[in-house]
Amino acid sequence: MNLIDRYIHEVGRHLPRKNRGDIQAELRSSVVDTLEDRFGQEPTEEEAAGLLKEFGEPRVVAASYHPKGQYLIGPTLYPIFSMVVWIVIAAVLGAQLLAWGISLFVAGESISVLEIVASLVSSIPASLGWVIITFWILQYFDAKPVLEDEPWDPNTMPVINTFEEVKRGELIFGLIFGTLFLVLVTLFPQWIGMITYPGGKFYPNPVILDYLVIIQISLLANLVLDIFLLAKGQWDLATRLIKIGLNVFSIVVLGFLVQGHNAWLAARSAGGFIEAIEAVSGIADGAWNVVGMHAFRLAFVIAFIVTTIEVFKAIYRLIKNKLQGELSVKDLALKVE
Amino acid sequence: MMMNNAVSEQYLKLTQELRRGILVLAALSQLKEEKYGYALISSLAEKGLDIEQGTLYPLLRRLESQGLLQSEWNVEGSRPRRYYVISPEGEKTLQDLTGDWRKLTEVMKELLADIANEGE
Repeated sequence: MNLIDRYIHEVGRHLPRKNRGDIQAELRSSVVDTLEDRFGQEPTEEEAAGLLKEFGEPRVVAASYHPKGQYLIGPTLYPIFSMVVWIVIAAVLGAQLLAWGISLFVAGESISVLEIVASLVSSIPASLGWVIITFWILQYFDAKPVLEDEPWDPNTMPVINTFEEVKRGELIFGLIFGTLFLVLVTLFPQWIGMITYPGGKFYPNPVILDYLVIIQISLLANLVLDIFLLAKGQWDLATRLIKIGLNVFSIVVLGFLVQGHNAWLAARSAGGFIEAIEAVSGIADGAWNVVGMHAFRLAFVIAFIVTTIEVFKAIYRLIKNKLQGELSVKDLALKVE
Repeated sequence: MMMNNAVSEQYLKLTQELRRGILVLAALSQLKEEKYGYALISSLAEKGLDIEQGTLYPLLRRLESQGLLQSEWNVEGSRPRRYYVISPEGEKTLQDLTGDWRKLTEVMKELLADIANEGE
């Protein structure tokens, strides 16, 4: 019967290749047996359709023959997969930041935001793709994590990992300075600069004026998060991730400021900081400008390095927390087994 | 209405879960003599246990791969059929599982005694 042939063929399309023919033959004999038992030797197409509906959708029927279930990465491998994903994201992000930092400070190259975003957009999914392919292969060959043979000891359980309380003093300090700086860059950006001595002439920093909007966005976003944290009193996964994101954004902004200063100094064929200070003995206004811009650049470089270290620390802490969480989940899963 | 649907769906899942546990024992118990799939379904249905075809066939294959059943194609009838029969290892497992089942039913009888009385 045409309908049955089509049904068996359709189920076969989703069956494991190894036993396909055998399962199809058995399914056919059981469908025909049932049909004959219910409707005799000459069942109608309608009766056959009704019975096939009872047997179920071909995909669902075929799925029940997959002994290991049908998933890319199963529950046994998933905790390790999730841990590796975090490590890879952190490593790629770290490597990108490092490469960017080197090209900015050592090679003195300039990079655009688009380039940074484009390289992250391509490198993170590509790396995660390889992780998924690797785990997919492990799953295919039914690899299992090596489990310890020692009997489980309750005393070895990790301590409950509550996200720690926020340090209020630090937050309030950050809030005050953040607000002051935001007010300064928003209302009086022309006041940020350097005064020549002698002469007392004021020069606003042209690079800060150029990047005013992203500086304001970065400061404002950090302030909003700090206020939220102050109200909540505790860190959690979301706020930790947002903080890392904001810090990365701050690094990008600081990178632009450093790059801007590099360009400004290069345009004036200025040498190093020390040479600039030596040149001041001539007491020319222009030389003082160069010293001021060098000082600004140094401050931004320090901020860049400090923020980068903070990001790495935050990512490390997050992975450590995640790792402990996953391990306790694994213990639980083993116990259930 | 939504609530009723949700409850009945949940109830359906619970009964399926409850039955899933006994299917192995039920199938093994009926395969002392060799039977093909549909004959086994009919025999279980006659005794009051309905099993969906989609559940039984994969289960029989699983039990065979675990060494509890043996099977072979028989082409003598009106059409080829795969016949299953319990293996010596399956016999032993059936004995053990039956012992467990009896103990379990005793315990459950005790546990549910009050509930049965309430229902009566």
